[in-house]
Amino acid sequence: MSSNNTQNILEVRDLLVYYENAIAINNVSLKCRKGKITGIFGANSAGKSTLMHTISGLIMDMRDKEKKKGGERITWFGEINYNGENITNMKPSDRARKGLILSPERRQVFPESSTMENIKIGGYLATREQAKKTMDYVFKLFPELINLKHREAGFLSGGEQQMLAIGRALMAQPKLLLLDEPLLGLAPSIETRLAQAIKAINTETGVTVVLSEQYARPVFPIIDYGYVLENGSIVLEGSGEELMNNPDVLGAYFGM
Amino acid sequence: MEIIIYGIVNSLTLILMSIGFALAYGVSRIPNFAHGALFILTGYLTWLLRFRMDMPYGLAILLSLIIVAIIGVALYQIILIRVRGMPISEIIASFGVGLAILEFLRWSGLKGTAHMLPPFMSGSMLIFDVPLDYQRIIVVLGGVSVLLFLWFFTTYTKPGLSLKAIAQNERAGLVLGIDSDIAATLAVAIGAVFAGIAAIILLPLGNIVVEMGYEVLVFAIAVSVCGGLGSWKGAVIASFLIGFAQTITVSLVAPHYHFVTALFIIIMVLIFKPSGLFGRQKELEERV
Repeated sequence: MSSNNTQNILEVRDLLVYYENAIAINNVSLKCRKGKITGIFGANSAGKSTLMHTISGLIMDMRDKEKKKGGERITWFGEINYNGENITNMKPSDRARKGLILSPERRQVFPESSTMENIKIGGYLATREQAKKTMDYVFKLFPELINLKHREAGFLSGGEQQMLAIGRALMAQPKLLLLDEPLLGLAPSIETRLAQAIKAINTETGVTVVLSEQYARPVFPIIDYGYVLENGSIVLEGSGEELMNNPDVLGAYFGM
Repeated sequence: MEIIIYGIVNSLTLILMSIGFALAYGVSRIPNFAHGALFILTGYLTWLLRFRMDMPYGLAILLSLIIVAIIGVALYQIILIRVRGMPISEIIASFGVGLAILEFLRWSGLKGTAHMLPPFMSGSMLIFDVPLDYQRIIVVLGGVSVLLFLWFFTTYTKPGLSLKAIAQNERAGLVLGIDSDIAATLAVAIGAVFAGIAAIILLPLGNIVVEMGYEVLVFAIAVSVCGGLGSWKGAVIASFLIGFAQTITVSLVAPHYHFVTALFIIIMVLIFKPSGLFGRQKELEERV
């Protein structure tokens, strides 16, 4: 088993997340192999985003804010191991420092900053050399952004914003890149384009990718392994092909 | 000519008074209502160090700025961090601290007109036939350098960029490795230092009195609201708008109307642009 551990950059064990008394993540365990692309699929409210927030640590911020407001009590149990270290209760900024970077749902670019400034902010954790190298890589990967360098990010189209969000996350020098619904609300041609870009990032830089999607077809060709979430539990897992050939999945998640 | 020159001086006075408040609000969304108190505190500290402890003027200024920066850090780390995200509590907490500081100063002997800081340079010169004393020229230069520093800091340095990021989308910043508490502490501390710098530049033009602390707070809020809360570009434009309007009123109508003019402009701006001149606009809302 120990040789197996070194291959897994991320291991989630028996994770339970509660919003007040409602269970959002129910006993989820999953593993992400180093250097691979793992997909997490599920409908709205299946718990994809909560899972991403728990892995990235944003849930700690949500818990603290809710606590101050006297709102919902957010609690979680279980264990998240990243590179063999238990990070279950680590601040999100410290997780980022260790190379665990989330590109959040709905892109969340900094709307009043220019494209270039968004990218620069992304390089907060990078050294000057890393930032320069990664910036060149991002513009090679998304040449569309070159002409938009000085435009305010809030005025970019959805696809451009998503490219920017991924580029910005790359600037933070991730070892494990979490992409929360990167294809949400995009045109089919852009979906394909972005899926290919995600694959390119994975093969060219060796970054491990975990992505969540509702609709699996565009990302099916690029994932190595996938989990299907339903009501907060994993109901199915397997390689891309295994999932694809499962009749239950076909209708529900692949739109076929 | 007189109106233009004194308008500029007046506008930069307002910028100096308000920029620290606008910065702290823009980044941490914390309205630092202790702003005016920090202003007076720096002035009084400098006075104490200079005249009671006989320090050289420059050293006294430097020391009081360092002290006020530390107070800013403590204000955030000890008090404001606990109420972060609850605007009403933030206002009450910071205003409470401000009241405590100001009234403590009054109690410990800061009253009357006995406390004055010397101007950096005395004398005056003629600019386009308008006499202008050196201290007011320093006000202009100081205001401009504060703005230049702020622009450079938020455009080219990592801490500055991180402040901008947290101001726009805290969670997106968190997952890029920016610690929002550190950013907010930095913002409140820089805001405090800006209040201090304003005090040191502006107070030699008058006496150090506790009431001035309240006045600075009112102007800082007025300028920030008018410019659009959270936007320091807006604060600069609003400073010029209010600054010139006041100068024109003073020279054409009567001096004691200047406060009324300021309030009139704020009301007008809020009627036609409720979110302030540069407030967050609808058109920038997220596109899906």
